[in-house]
Amino acid sequence: MLNNIEWLVPSDDKVKLGGEDSEIVVSSRTRIARNITDIPFEIKMKTDDSIRLVKLVRSVIGENIKGKYLDIQKISPLEKESLLECHFISPAFLDIDKPAGLFILDKGNISIMINEEDHLRIQGLSYGLNLTNISSEVFDLEEKIGEDLAYAFNETYGYLTSCPTNLGSGLRASVLLHLPALVFTNEVEKVLKGAVQIGMAVRGLYGEGSEIKGGLFQISNQHTLGLKEEDLIESIVKLTHMIMDIEKKARNVIFTKARYEFEDKIFRSLAVLKSARIISTDEVLNLLSAVRFGIGTGVIKDITLGVINEIMLVSRPANIQLYFGEVLEEHERDVRRAEYIRKRLSGKSKITKSK
Amino acid sequence: MLCDDCKKKPATIFFKEVLPEEVVELHLCEECAHKRGLIMTKKMLPIEILQRLLREKSVEDEKIICSVCYLSLAEFKRRGRFGCSNCISTFEPYIKNLIKQIHRSDKHVGRQAKLGPKKGFEVFKLREQLKKALEKESYEEAAEIRDKLKTFEVDNAE
Repeated sequence: MLNNIEWLVPSDDKVKLGGEDSEIVVSSRTRIARNITDIPFEIKMKTDDSIRLVKLVRSVIGENIKGKYLDIQKISPLEKESLLECHFISPAFLDIDKPAGLFILDKGNISIMINEEDHLRIQGLSYGLNLTNISSEVFDLEEKIGEDLAYAFNETYGYLTSCPTNLGSGLRASVLLHLPALVFTNEVEKVLKGAVQIGMAVRGLYGEGSEIKGGLFQISNQHTLGLKEEDLIESIVKLTHMIMDIEKKARNVIFTKARYEFEDKIFRSLAVLKSARIISTDEVLNLLSAVRFGIGTGVIKDITLGVINEIMLVSRPANIQLYFGEVLEEHERDVRRAEYIRKRLSGKSKITKSK
Repeated sequence: MLCDDCKKKPATIFFKEVLPEEVVELHLCEECAHKRGLIMTKKMLPIEILQRLLREKSVEDEKIICSVCYLSLAEFKRRGRFGCSNCISTFEPYIKNLIKQIHRSDKHVGRQAKLGPKKGFEVFKLREQLKKALEKESYEEAAEIRDKLKTFEVDNAE
């Protein structure tokens, strides 16, 4: 029986509202990589080292921090897919064959991957433009763990990581932006090229190598050495504000030129979501993009961005199966996804922890 | 039409910039446009730079070995990963330049790890030792370890 939807329920109240500036910034994420001195890094670890690492980290976390621990080797492939869809784990964790785990803090927005490429990947996700706050929460946790464990550190190269591309701060901070107007006016490439010029990477919704869909773009730092963590985060926030301004201007231009055409597209998209009987994940992403655009521009008033965030998350292929508590084939999934969305948009069927 | 810059190759790129005082028009070949920085070449990601730089191999690589985890520089270049927290000190002279090219910097300026004994790790190690001592039935040793563990608990209470 699949009923493990606990991690699907966003316990952060901000999700319901969508967070600050969420008409353009869907979410903010931070992760820091840390390793422990005296324990070999991934490529030199033996099974005994992995067991020891997991035990050690669990003993330290278990005593100080409230949360739920998941043994990655013991949970089902479907549950792993779901954790990936929720951004709790990386694709590397899907077919991992060594002792490893995930610790999700009670608040639900912060988690720790134990024994991925680095011993620890401490990460946080928040909706809207909330990068500064979520990052400081992640660093607070990192500091707390650092009281009990000696992080691998070198004066010149900072925190030592398995891969040389993470040396220094071990920090990867990102924002997920929804830029439909810039996509429409063909300006998006130019804007994002500018971001790349100043040392940022631009990717799709699910990070490295993922396709860009639904007008969603993830911007993150490429470099981890030679920049103070706070300065790096501030530069991403500043860049985000700049891109938001350009997107807002493009939205105004679009609406001045072709208001009815856009309202038509927005309401037709909403109508399809409200009445479809079979719907794929990609179609949902594209329709949600139009509806999100409609909410952000004030065309749609009776749906919150929080509901859109929730639908985007729950309608993913693995999540929808966990939501219904059944293993579903693709066609069945498309039918049940449509059912869930119809109910959700009619104000029923909110997900709650008691389900 | 020939390229305005080199006057040799045919111009394939037409560039126009409207400035407040004048309008600049240029007819360039691809090579000269690159030189002027008018064509953006695809920027390489750090991981791509790493993969490219690791291809530069030397016969000496097999002989340079980390004294803690025994990773050789050759294996580091094959896998692109460090084996332990000591590797970087061993390999530094050979990969200094690589790190600089990846990050456009060669010095960490951010947060500093707090040094000093770490209670969690010490307690963990003592518990491991205690378990082993009990398995061996060396109760005297176990008693000593228990005493050490107690000092940590006292520290904690303060």
